[in-house]
Amino acid sequence: MADVIVDAKGLACPMPIVKAKKAIDALQPGQIMEVHTTEKGSMNDFPAWIRQSNHELLEAKEENGVFVFIVKKT
Amino acid sequence: MESNAQSMTVEELHRKMETGDVLILDVRNEKDYNDWKIESKQAQSVNIPYFAFLEEDERVYAGLPKDKEIAVVCAKGGASDYVAEMLNNKGYNSSSLAGGMLAWSRFYHPVIVYADEKLKMIQINRLAKGCLSYAVISEGKGMIIDPGKEIEVYLELAGEHRFEIEHVVDSHLHADHITGGPRLAEQVGATYYLSSEEAKGTHLKYEPLDRHDRIKVGDVQVEVLSIPTPGHTPGSTSFLIDNRFLLSGDTIFVGGLGRPDLGGKAKEWAEDLYHTVFFKLKDLPDDCLVLPAHYSDIREMNDRGVVGELLGKIRENNEIMRNEDKASFTEQVAGAASMEKPPNFEEIVAINRGELQVDEERAIELEIGPNRCAVHHHGSHEEEA
Repeated sequence: MADVIVDAKGLACPMPIVKAKKAIDALQPGQIMEVHTTEKGSMNDFPAWIRQSNHELLEAKEENGVFVFIVKKT
Repeated sequence: MESNAQSMTVEELHRKMETGDVLILDVRNEKDYNDWKIESKQAQSVNIPYFAFLEEDERVYAGLPKDKEIAVVCAKGGASDYVAEMLNNKGYNSSSLAGGMLAWSRFYHPVIVYADEKLKMIQINRLAKGCLSYAVISEGKGMIIDPGKEIEVYLELAGEHRFEIEHVVDSHLHADHITGGPRLAEQVGATYYLSSEEAKGTHLKYEPLDRHDRIKVGDVQVEVLSIPTPGHTPGSTSFLIDNRFLLSGDTIFVGGLGRPDLGGKAKEWAEDLYHTVFFKLKDLPDDCLVLPAHYSDIREMNDRGVVGELLGKIRENNEIMRNEDKASFTEQVAGAASMEKPPNFEEIVAINRGELQVDEERAIELEIGPNRCAVHHHGSHEEEA
């Protein structure tokens, strides 16, 4: 179960990652963030951002046009 | 949030690129950047993803100059607005490319290749895709060859250079971009030509190229000679103008030959290409200027911004053009091309065959990305595809 859910549906790049970045900064290490976005660019941008920021991408999936990313803060 | 973001159009960016007075800062992720980016001979390009700027880390800015204009580029223009504003707040001089790579992919730049009182040849370069189309103009009449999807480009050109578009031609059925041919012809009431080999099995309305050895442009002796040059596709046609200009479609490029593998018959088509190079085009003079439909490397563009090379030079520079051994020619050409296909090529071919209709948004999406039609993309001087 996620500690925070970021609903970025309908937001265009760069806002999904801007929002997600704010949310994950407020978490404690080990906590889980779930992000929902409809921005197609997220599929490539999100994993790249997580890699760069050294968090852990637990899952990336698409459900009915919504991209869902589950991230563990390190 | 928009307060400090200046924006720049693709036309402005292109002008600045030509003088080199701009640094291109591409803020997309590394993978998208490596796959497809704005190429420039003069302007330098760096890649720092926009999300790197979200970290409060001064090291991210380390390589960026304060004394040079920075053009910030992303996929659609949103992230570049965001980054440009951050940069300007820190004292940099940056502008965001309006519309991003999407707008860049729809930018066409015309260059006059040749002009005398009877004949004007214009090369229209779609830089993002490496796609080249042409206007052959004489006595107020014109022929457009291989027009891209944005047909307003050609309508504007006709207005600016005062000619009436009489003929519209596709040198072949394109696999890397959506043709504007049938729509342009319909809009201006011109004849649309394609080889019947290419149109086989489609419901396209066209005039078979193979029934016209010559097409007259205007009322002077500027004749266009259709030479069927199979290889890249079975019905590929080249056009010889005034015995001086060979519009070679995707058959011969400045840097090599067209790839024969996009129809699942690489070997057969490679043999056609052999026949084309060593029989059909054999007698063309070395001082004939080859003007292809594509290029894959910015280095193929000369100092005037024209992509074209004398046939003699191409013969000299490409070992494959001198390899008269059929078996080894075929093997080399078919083998070199078999890796990466142009993005979405099956869908694009279906659209160009008139079998699939898509809306503008989908059309734009399908065309996004680099061109991959030339053999030498995978040859010696490209490090990776």
